[in-house]
Amino acid sequence: MNRQTKHGFWKKSVNGRTALLYLFPSILLFSVFVFYPMFRTIYLSFFLTDQAGNAALHVGLENYGYLLESSAFRNSMKATGLFVLYTVPIGIILSLFFALLANEKLKGIGFFRTLYSSTMGISVAASSVIWLFMFHPSIGMFNRVLSVLNLPQIQWLLDPEWALLSVSISTIWMNTGFSFLILLGGLQNIDEHLYESSRIDGAGYFYRLRRITLPMLSPTLFFIITISLINAFQSFGQIDILTKGGPSQSTNLIVYSIYREAFINYQFGTASAQAVILFIIILIVTILQFKLGERKVHYQ
Amino acid sequence: MKNLLKPSLFWLLLLTVAILTACTNSDSNTNNDADNPAPSDSEDTGTEEGKVTIDFWHAMSGTGQESLDAIVAGFNESQDKYEVKAEFQGSYEESLTKLRSVGGTKDAPAITQVFEVGTKYMIDSGYIEPMQSFIDKDSYDLSQLEENILNYYKVDGDLYSMPFNSSTPVMIYNKDAFEEAGLDPEKAPETFSEVIDAAAKLKTDEMYGFSMLTYGWFFEQLVATQGGLYVNEDNGRSGDATEALFNGPEGLNVFNFLDTMNKAGTFGNFGTNWDDIRAAFSTGKVAMYMDSSAGVAGAIQNAPFEVGVAYIPHADEVQRNGVVIGGASLWMSKGIAENEQEAAWEFMKYLTTPEVQAKWHLDTGYFAINPKAYDEENVKEKWSEFPQYKVTVDQLQDTVPGLATQGALISVFPESRQQIVTALEDLYQGKDPQEALDQAAEGTNRAMEIANKTK
Repeated sequence: MNRQTKHGFWKKSVNGRTALLYLFPSILLFSVFVFYPMFRTIYLSFFLTDQAGNAALHVGLENYGYLLESSAFRNSMKATGLFVLYTVPIGIILSLFFALLANEKLKGIGFFRTLYSSTMGISVAASSVIWLFMFHPSIGMFNRVLSVLNLPQIQWLLDPEWALLSVSISTIWMNTGFSFLILLGGLQNIDEHLYESSRIDGAGYFYRLRRITLPMLSPTLFFIITISLINAFQSFGQIDILTKGGPSQSTNLIVYSIYREAFINYQFGTASAQAVILFIIILIVTILQFKLGERKVHYQ
Repeated sequence: MKNLLKPSLFWLLLLTVAILTACTNSDSNTNNDADNPAPSDSEDTGTEEGKVTIDFWHAMSGTGQESLDAIVAGFNESQDKYEVKAEFQGSYEESLTKLRSVGGTKDAPAITQVFEVGTKYMIDSGYIEPMQSFIDKDSYDLSQLEENILNYYKVDGDLYSMPFNSSTPVMIYNKDAFEEAGLDPEKAPETFSEVIDAAAKLKTDEMYGFSMLTYGWFFEQLVATQGGLYVNEDNGRSGDATEALFNGPEGLNVFNFLDTMNKAGTFGNFGTNWDDIRAAFSTGKVAMYMDSSAGVAGAIQNAPFEVGVAYIPHADEVQRNGVVIGGASLWMSKGIAENEQEAAWEFMKYLTTPEVQAKWHLDTGYFAINPKAYDEENVKEKWSEFPQYKVTVDQLQDTVPGLATQGALISVFPESRQQIVTALEDLYQGKDPQEALDQAAEGTNRAMEIANKTK
């Protein structure tokens, strides 16, 4: 009897075991490259580390307590929130606009499609350096244009009021290419018949845009919003090259502050604690997005 | 479908295993090395043609790298026992990060260039062979080297690393602008109040009077020249420092000095990037600024006007103490083969010869650590053409030796400098000088506390 149930279980779970076998390679890779570093980060966040980065002193939740009390960290959170707010909506609206333009069937449209998506081909580092020159306080292009127009000069990257905005502008420019490409792909996938029949019914351009294009594009839009949000939270390269977190910490986004804590100050403990907090924030935002946003997504 | 799937799964598995073994292999290797740091003359010693080959990690780019490559090539040709390979490893911070992962093993480079504020870290790390042991063994005569430079790198009387590229801050000014403003171009302002007055006279619609790179090093120098200490425990030289002192009266003098000009609109803020402030000077956007002595050559070359070089200013009520050495020194690794250490020592001795130092000084504007270099013919020639170079050397040799000008010794210097940068930026935005300084001191105190706790 006993033996039979055991045998029965063995037989019943055959599908599960086969699945595990197929999943084994990816589980293995994930545990080495994702799960182990993640648990190591959580582990380190309860310690202070020595000069070589090894866990040296167990401090429990002290790292978290210090962060939540520290005005510098609160400032990082605020800057990150503002940065996300500046870059994500404008970036997506802009690339949607370009995608709609480039989706029209015109002669030579391929040229414009290449142009609009070209920023995707430039690395963050290279484009940041280009922007660095344009923002240059004394020889930069923007300030030269301003002086030709007799407008007051702006300290793009040196004035705390402007720095985050300047970094956001360059980030929007960098990210537009990728969002544009994905959205254009989504637009091309919309069934031409829908437009044809609506045209027969006498629907105008904006009516079609609102009733056909946007609903049919919503899965793509949802995808691109999720990706852009996560990307914005994790922006690093342009900060490192343009401002290094300054001036007055105004562009010290969380990821940059983690980097500085870990690799300049060699405080892997507090850096890990920040990373864990960032992870929780992104998790919450993504869950919220799936809960709230996905209702509006229309899958055909 | 099944037939298609099976081989691909097999390859995937094989790939996984391959990747994983690759990872574990390198891991266990480094572990082994860490466990037995005993020197082993195996494959790494590189005995090609009977020569001992060693690696030299440095952080010099641009003209510094060119000059250094030429010096290394000169060493390799000068004898046939040793071969030095110079490798650029990124900025000082980046190369130090790389060193942390191999330090103390036989994979470590024989020589690493580490910036001056990494001195305390390197001594504490246990990765390095103190220079003093070779100096004693070889009875090397240290007195031939510049005393003011040695003072910085000597800890408890022992020299741990070989000074190499050394620089100090100077004030660089636009002589043409001085003339236009009715100031004497041959006599630069010396004290804080003189600089403030001159800056007000020099200010035009196009040009700011004075500027300073937003960088902790300059603040440290302006405090030190007043005889102020950066941290307690005799600037960290008689024990582990526990408290920042830079928010005392000397530091406040500096912040008030900058604040006065900033409020008067005569101070130009050009940020944290060396190139930006240098471009601002050469395009006539600022009349006086603080730069490293290593920037003098570039300033003279790039400016379309006459360039003057002066000592850094000091507070009115105190005597000038002088400057602290900045730059970097060369460290010899521990745990590598003995003949590699000897090769490293031979190379360092070669570096300190007057001829090499003269070349280095002329190419880059860094000091010659061997003062005899200044007697070389080519240096004299250059000095008579550009007397500005001499000012930097005079300023160093006029320095009053003492705890302040010896420079602070703390392991968390990079973090503390970051705190100062933030304080300066806050100051330029109108924050109260004392408040900004206190905040930086608090951050530094916490960093030192953690460093002392986890040591």
